[in-house]
Amino acid sequence: MNPLDLTRRAFLGKTAMGLGALGLSPYLDRQGAPHHAPRARRIVYLFQSGGPAQHDLLDHKPLLNERWGEELPDSIRQGQRLTAMSGHQATLPLAGTVFKFSRHGESGTEVSELLPETAKIIDKLCVIRSMHTEAINHDPAITFLQTGSQIAGRPSLGSWLSYGLGSANRDLPDSVILVTRNKGGQPLYARLWGAGFLPSKHQGVQLRPGRDPVLYLTNPDGLTRTDRRRMLDAMNALHADQEAHEQDPEIRSRMAQAELAYRMQMSVPEVTDLANEPDATFELYGKDARTPGTYAANCLLARRLLERDVRFVQLFHQGWDQHGGLPGALRNQCRETDRASAALVRDLEQRGLLEDTLVVWGGEFGRTAYCQGKLTKGNYGRDHHPRCFTMWMAGAGVNAGTVYGSTDPFGYNIASDPVHVHDLQATILHLLGIDHERLTYKFQGRRYRLTDVHGEVIRPLLA
Amino acid sequence: MRLLLATLGLLLGTAMAQDPISFNRDVRPILADRCFPCHGPDKATRQAELRLDLREHAVGGRPSRGPAVVAGDAAASLAVQRMRSQDPARRMPPPASKLTLSEREIQTLERWINEGAPYARHWGFVPPRPTPTPAVADGAWVRDPLDAFVLRSLEERGLRPSPEADAETLLRRVTLDLTGLPPSQEEMDRFLADRGPGAYERVVDRLLASPRFGERMATDWLDAARYADTFGYQSDVYREVWPWRDWVIKAFNENLPYDDFITWQIAGDMIPDATREQRLATAFNRLHRQTNEGGSVEEEYRQEYIGDRVHTMGTAFLGLTLECARCHDHKFDPISQEEYYGLAAFFANIDESGLYSHFTNATPTPALRLPNAGQEKTLADLDQNIARAETGLAELRVTLRGQLSQSTTEDIPDRIGHFPLEKLEKDGSVVNSVDAKKPGKTSDRPKPVEGARGQGLTLSGENNIWFPGLGAFSRHDPFTLSMWVNTPDRKERSVLVHRSRAWTDAGSQGYELLILDGALQWSLIHFWPGDAASVRTNDPLPIGQWVHLAVSHDGSARASGLKIWMNGKPATTTLVKDKLTRTIMGGGPQLTIGQRFRDKGFKGGSVDEFQLFSRALCDAEVAHLHDGGPHLRSHDGSLSAQSPEWRKAAAALATLRKQRARHVDSIRTIMAMEEMAEPRPTHVLHRGQYDAVRQQVSPGTPEAISPMEDGTPRNRLGLARWLTDQRNPLTARVAVNRMWIVAFGRGLVSSAENMGTPGAPPTHPQLMDRLATDFVDSGWDWKAMLRRLVTSATYRQGSRRHPEGDARDATNDSLWRASPRRLTAEMLRDQALFASGLMDHKMGGPPVKPYQPPGLWKEKSGRTYKRDKGAGLYRRSLYTIWKRTSPPPSMMILDAAKRDVCVAERHETNTPLQSLLLFNDPQFVEAARVLAARALATDDPIAHVFRALCSRRPRAAERKALQALFRATQTRYGDDAAAAELLLKTGDAPVAEGTDKIKLAAMTLVSSTIMGSDAAVTRR
Repeated sequence: MNPLDLTRRAFLGKTAMGLGALGLSPYLDRQGAPHHAPRARRIVYLFQSGGPAQHDLLDHKPLLNERWGEELPDSIRQGQRLTAMSGHQATLPLAGTVFKFSRHGESGTEVSELLPETAKIIDKLCVIRSMHTEAINHDPAITFLQTGSQIAGRPSLGSWLSYGLGSANRDLPDSVILVTRNKGGQPLYARLWGAGFLPSKHQGVQLRPGRDPVLYLTNPDGLTRTDRRRMLDAMNALHADQEAHEQDPEIRSRMAQAELAYRMQMSVPEVTDLANEPDATFELYGKDARTPGTYAANCLLARRLLERDVRFVQLFHQGWDQHGGLPGALRNQCRETDRASAALVRDLEQRGLLEDTLVVWGGEFGRTAYCQGKLTKGNYGRDHHPRCFTMWMAGAGVNAGTVYGSTDPFGYNIASDPVHVHDLQATILHLLGIDHERLTYKFQGRRYRLTDVHGEVIRPLLA
Repeated sequence: MRLLLATLGLLLGTAMAQDPISFNRDVRPILADRCFPCHGPDKATRQAELRLDLREHAVGGRPSRGPAVVAGDAAASLAVQRMRSQDPARRMPPPASKLTLSEREIQTLERWINEGAPYARHWGFVPPRPTPTPAVADGAWVRDPLDAFVLRSLEERGLRPSPEADAETLLRRVTLDLTGLPPSQEEMDRFLADRGPGAYERVVDRLLASPRFGERMATDWLDAARYADTFGYQSDVYREVWPWRDWVIKAFNENLPYDDFITWQIAGDMIPDATREQRLATAFNRLHRQTNEGGSVEEEYRQEYIGDRVHTMGTAFLGLTLECARCHDHKFDPISQEEYYGLAAFFANIDESGLYSHFTNATPTPALRLPNAGQEKTLADLDQNIARAETGLAELRVTLRGQLSQSTTEDIPDRIGHFPLEKLEKDGSVVNSVDAKKPGKTSDRPKPVEGARGQGLTLSGENNIWFPGLGAFSRHDPFTLSMWVNTPDRKERSVLVHRSRAWTDAGSQGYELLILDGALQWSLIHFWPGDAASVRTNDPLPIGQWVHLAVSHDGSARASGLKIWMNGKPATTTLVKDKLTRTIMGGGPQLTIGQRFRDKGFKGGSVDEFQLFSRALCDAEVAHLHDGGPHLRSHDGSLSAQSPEWRKAAAALATLRKQRARHVDSIRTIMAMEEMAEPRPTHVLHRGQYDAVRQQVSPGTPEAISPMEDGTPRNRLGLARWLTDQRNPLTARVAVNRMWIVAFGRGLVSSAENMGTPGAPPTHPQLMDRLATDFVDSGWDWKAMLRRLVTSATYRQGSRRHPEGDARDATNDSLWRASPRRLTAEMLRDQALFASGLMDHKMGGPPVKPYQPPGLWKEKSGRTYKRDKGAGLYRRSLYTIWKRTSPPPSMMILDAAKRDVCVAERHETNTPLQSLLLFNDPQFVEAARVLAARALATDDPIAHVFRALCSRRPRAAERKALQALFRATQTRYGDDAAAAELLLKTGDAPVAEGTDKIKLAAMTLVSSTIMGSDAAVTRR
């Protein structure tokens, strides 16, 4: 067989064989995923890194404005642990919001004036106001959402999907990561989309704005695609001889990977090049979308990737960590993200992709109802708050136009229908056709899964 | 038919019908995986009072039910009935567990029960026994006893060993395995020419003696030790730990016996008369990730670090997953949660903080000083001079007795700040009556209050009074602070006055007077808690009244030089810390009263009349500050206040101390272990949570693995002895397995990270035992054992597959051939550098920054990666800087371990990103170009490149394809010389004057093609 004729599927088969030859075949037990008919075929996860302030965005608490500056009652705090940042504060005064809320859509869901575009699509969203997590600092909290464990080293959601469902795409990676450029704030790092102990081919691949969307994608200067083809042909000849000599199937799989790399050199620039998008697109996503690396450009790029059946696309937008100076900074964050997030949902819908694409929006924890630092009439900050925060989902299989869960009048504790991070993960996997208890990987003699030993599918979130 | 059956048996991986069932091989894996989660060692999750990990439980009756297993009668066994039950409510494992048993597995269990349900201890917990060399049919093949074990198992499977690999393949294999580099052309020529007896052994000896050997071995150990040049977690700041990496290289090169290798790393500091090197080795225990994230709970992370030490020790030395017992009893291995914390107790006993300093670059304590010889000499000289000056002062004190008139305290010299705090000026400042140009400032307008003398100020806990331009005292400066305070309540913790940037965020670097548990604590600090001088009053600070406080430091940087007065009288104090060794100046300090960043301020407290002196005052002077009345100075007080002669000598001493301080601050330090005199108590933590403290435990090791002798001390040194005791069933096996991986690509136990119950059984159990006992008997001689492995006949086999071998043992468990593997990340890059002649062979030193795509550090943590120029681009890969949150991308693409936690073995993958990397990374393109230039200077350029990268000559078909590529490319660049010019610009290395650039560009593509091809990427 001509190695060039190898399809992705054939190549996967060969790779599995190669792994088998290495004695890794027991690891390829996916417990028969998908386990049931999936509602979603792909997922785009809009990660708002830093912890968006729910009281100023999607969980309106008029009581906080009424009792502005009063001390947080002990009966509400219930001795909960605070970070060492506000834990030593002399007082914990309640901070209301300076932003106006109003009801939107048929559902009448309250949305802050900071999110006008999100408000317009509110009937397409399922807002979860009762998310909670266990971590109070960024690193463990993001790690928890991404991998189901606060401790580094477990596979990320995207790599679990790649492992569990295989590839849906011949020319692009299974899991693609887009990080807003030049945001700063809480650092992000590759292990958040890493494969942990899964084979590294399942790790997320970050696409970057600029010359090399994938690391090392571009040929050196002075070396054209024709030159590369010529080199690959020569290499094919070397490999054919080597295989005849060594009888090692791994050689063929190496060649197949080189050919896939060659195709990616075409397909990746093609998908990341927004030049041929019509003006209407940029009207929808906002003019920021013309600047590579912005959140808006990444939302648009996400749509292009999803169109090409990349199974998992995750955006990261930093800067939601408003310990102080919240009103100004939050306004800025929303200006950067609101329009594009909503545009992505609409765009997917008008292309018929929303019915089998799951959209998830949210951060790693919430923020406190009390003020961190100095509280004035127009300015305040909020510390990390794990006990409740707000996320939303849209698209495939999601109960659109609803609000799930609620918090107490102080926005401090969950009042009804808590959703733990593991529950969210279980629900996401469920929508993709996976029983979260059955997608396991044996490592160090133990079966690991994304949801550790916890998690329940939250049925009311599903349509 | 028999052959078919045998083949089937092998394929199914179970015992053949005629074999008796082996509990460890056939039964335990099923029970451990499917049954132990609910019927195993963990008492918390055990169901129905049933344990299947112990025979007496399995076959014994329970109070409520009959026995689960009836030995000899599977059909009568409740366990089997439940496994075969059609009723989902009764079936085992329960459907809800999502675990199932296959028909074959149930049959295996039935056979086992019918054969009497014999149990055996887990092989890994039985100490290895010396095993005699088995008899084999083909004795001539055997070069080392280990070959006999391998051959015996091959013969049992009806397999023959493969013929020996050809000389080129073998030389490449052994050179890569032992040094991480390919052979040089000269080494290849020499070996091909010398086919006499012992030629191969001479090569092996040469490689073992090469300094490159230590670098190769260290690379694996860095993975196990989760070595990195940064702290990890989010800010991921650089830390200097490379001296430990260099020690590892040296230890392997000098063939430090493996028991010492363990002992030094676990407990080098506790070896009697420990050398600096032995102490340095203990940095092993500090290489875990550490955080400085603001707001983290210090104790939470301290527990995390202790846990990491236990897990790393477990994986690296014992091949156990001790971490499973952190939150509950181990579900598979007989390790209780209490025993886990018994192990943690060994590692808890150092004076450390759970957070490293964000605002300073202090080395987290305990820190070990690493002076070079010159620095050591200078330090000794300075110490001598200081001792002399101190003696001189003592003598002068005697000489001057009686020569000074006794003085009273009406005038107190050396006052440099006096703030009566009578009122706040409009701009919020407060007057300094000593120096009008240096007024104090306040934030958020403290409230005026009736003071101890006139007015004072009341603080909120968030606001403060601060003093720009004052209080920049170093650890060699004598000084005194004086103030009135009035606390409204008993404070657990409150900052009265300090000069520092922050609490845990700066390791408290500076000086500080705090209220702690109602008493006063006065400290000079480099890094809290391990590098500080600190004393605390025995009496509490009186509540609800004005109290005069004074604190002083005499310039000695010792706790004995710290003094506290309350209401004019010296307070009796208790020593808290007396180990201040480095600067207290860092972190952007301001002298401040009443508040500190992320600390508890003096909430509701009042202060009045604050004063500073650039001298340690005497009792009489402080008494004067308290009551205003004149007091008679003592002799010492008079000396320091009045005697010009004394003051001159004291200033000279201060200068020496300053010199010493500066010198010490310039000496490199590294995190290491240093046992605290008083052990910290360790407790069981419920579900592993730092704040769920349960019963106290004492240091100890898991009983079921091997008991700790009574005479062994219950500390890290004792732990090291236990680890290296020949009765320890795991240590030697784990070491041998690691070496086996070096030589054969996969361990005798394929789960290198786990030799416990759920791990894979050894493919050659008797061989494993034999090598483990031989290794211990040899004095834990690492090089000698590796030499045996790579000179064996088993190692020398060719790697070619054949259908018969594949049919009988497709995964090569029985070692009927050599297993080819892709070169590691380090080997691939090093090979390119070595083959091209670009490699800089310098050993050790600070990490280097070779080529890396721009922006990677920036996008993760805002720091800029500034790549090196010159030698730093071409050092061996183990010297490349390892930033945990942004590891070298080329290494990650090639499956390097992430270095977050201990990793025993890497997984090899094959991805398109690897192909892109080898083709396009400037590092590889440059190497291809430089190699091409070298090759063009030879008679046969293609052969030169091929040999340099693949360690063999090209075959005819290969040569033909490469020649065609060269010709086509030469024509193409001939038509487009500008493209050739561009291509040759990749990388810093210059192109020689007068080079034929068309030819060079064409040969560069040939070279790059070979570099990415299987023959170069694989070691066969």
